[in-house]
Amino acid sequence: MTALHDKADIAVLGGGPGGYVAALVAAERGAKVVLIEKERVGGTCLNVGCIPTKVLTSATELLVRAKRAGDFGLAIPQATVDLPALMAYKRKTVEQLVGGVEQLLKARRVMLIHGEARLVKPDRITIEDGKGSGEEVAAQRIILAPGSVTATPPIAGSSLPGVITSTGALDIETVPARLVVVGGGVIGLEFACIYEALGSKVTVLEMTPAILPGATDEVIAKRLHLLLRRRGMEVQTGTVVQRIEQAGEALRVFGRSASAESAMDCDRVLIATGRWPHTQGMGFAELGLRMNGRAIAVDERLATNLPNVWAVGDAIGGWMLAHKAMVDGRVAAENGTGGQRQVDYRSVPNVIFTRPEVASVGLTEAEARGSGAEVKVTQFPFSANPRARILGETDGLVRLVCEAGRGRILGVHMLGPHVTDLIAEGALAVQMGATADDLAWTTHAHPTLPEAMLEAALGFREAALHIQTR
Amino acid sequence: MPKYLEMTADKFTFRVATDRLYTAQGVWILPEPDGKRVRVGLADYLQQHNGDVAFANIKPVGTKLAAGDQFAEIETIKAMVDLHAPVGGTIVEVNGALDTAPEAINQSPYETGWLALIEPAAWDADRSKLLGPAAYFPVMQAQVQEELKNL
Repeated sequence: MTALHDKADIAVLGGGPGGYVAALVAAERGAKVVLIEKERVGGTCLNVGCIPTKVLTSATELLVRAKRAGDFGLAIPQATVDLPALMAYKRKTVEQLVGGVEQLLKARRVMLIHGEARLVKPDRITIEDGKGSGEEVAAQRIILAPGSVTATPPIAGSSLPGVITSTGALDIETVPARLVVVGGGVIGLEFACIYEALGSKVTVLEMTPAILPGATDEVIAKRLHLLLRRRGMEVQTGTVVQRIEQAGEALRVFGRSASAESAMDCDRVLIATGRWPHTQGMGFAELGLRMNGRAIAVDERLATNLPNVWAVGDAIGGWMLAHKAMVDGRVAAENGTGGQRQVDYRSVPNVIFTRPEVASVGLTEAEARGSGAEVKVTQFPFSANPRARILGETDGLVRLVCEAGRGRILGVHMLGPHVTDLIAEGALAVQMGATADDLAWTTHAHPTLPEAMLEAALGFREAALHIQTR
Repeated sequence: MPKYLEMTADKFTFRVATDRLYTAQGVWILPEPDGKRVRVGLADYLQQHNGDVAFANIKPVGTKLAAGDQFAEIETIKAMVDLHAPVGGTIVEVNGALDTAPEAINQSPYETGWLALIEPAAWDADRSKLLGPAAYFPVMQAQVQEELKNL
């Protein structure tokens, strides 16, 4: 160990959305902050998660629309993908956003140290730079933001060449003719739609009885499943992958469902079975940091059981979402600089960039009914929304889960065009405790997609205006 | 009796299959040869009146119904239609082909466009409340006339 910095006010372990936001907020509040990151700042989200996948979903959506140009009275004769250029665009976008975060940290005088961090005392972190030397940082308070790692279920054959994880699936040199995606959750289905648009014949194998388990309302998940099947994607639920074998040039995926065993040949297999909190190898167990399974246990102020140590983001489990981690980061930074804020996850939206998109916030219908509340659900299809009609994107619907009687909005669930943007209104409604009447009497501009929210809200008391219900 | 009773209004022809029973809403009921189950679907007028079906959301197998309960919802390009169970009982099969080919409801309302098989709980009692084809035909005619008035 060489240098011992002057004691920092706050040291943040991990520079992903939870950690860098915590660093920015703490610095803004006057603290002297050290941020330790082993790779680039931005974490999974910016480097190998949200951002690069959205580059691919956006580009492939444009490709799909360009191929339908004739529907809009346009002629785009050769809409094709240029993979090296697409990869370059992805790298450039990531680079710009990572560079932006680095600039923000610099502007707020956050000291960024690169290396592998280890918590050696509740107020001390050692950092290995990978070249055999390192340094030590002492801090009054520490915020742990180590993030998550790709979950690796014990499937035999998962290290065969051609079997990839989401990180590998982002670097596309060739498009496989046949892709099998293991896991019908958020990550698996986003990649399924990306590769489908690029021309792969995609099969999704999901272990649970429905796709997107726990990620959205059951009706929305079922409808997406139907739409994917109708355009030729194979989606098998209730299927557990047993093993993967090399079969000549192909990979053979063996699955088992309640009724049958199956074997499927393909050219590439994507394992997308979720993520686990990254909590190993950083000295946590040695210090007696209390855990909740793989996740770091925290209280409602995100404090751990160690004095002056907070934890945020994917590492504390629950929703593994960048925007939830950012909220955690703000809360921990505030509490680490004298605040007393509790986390409030009521309005954390979940957004899924499938084609069409899915977005949810608050309780699903089943959760609301399970909570004992008397519930009324009202919905409206995008097929009756003029803007969706103009866009040629009429598949999908908006569902509002409301408390019967007063109509307080408990949850909003959407499938359709741009719903990952539209859900912001739903999140506000849930956070503010708005009622269906509040939404129904908020004038929504015409012709726009958010009118579908207004129409669904109108259906709570009487009837939506622009569709006949019989 | 002919296979269908027919009426023509404007440029449309509406047919009523004569081998089965109906509710006034326009849901048909056909007892299966096994004598234990009944097949249900949309009558020709009901499907034409509501337009091209985009989705048929039928309650899952195992759902217990009282006569009159909503057992399915049809989404068409112009309407969302709640369908009411013609008999009480349990849904024992749904027409899975409608998942990917809902247009069967429009193209073949009395055959491949069927919705579900129901095991009735009290068939004899429920049956007496259903309409035979000769009784449903004037009900349908009146619905057609009403619609023409609104044109």
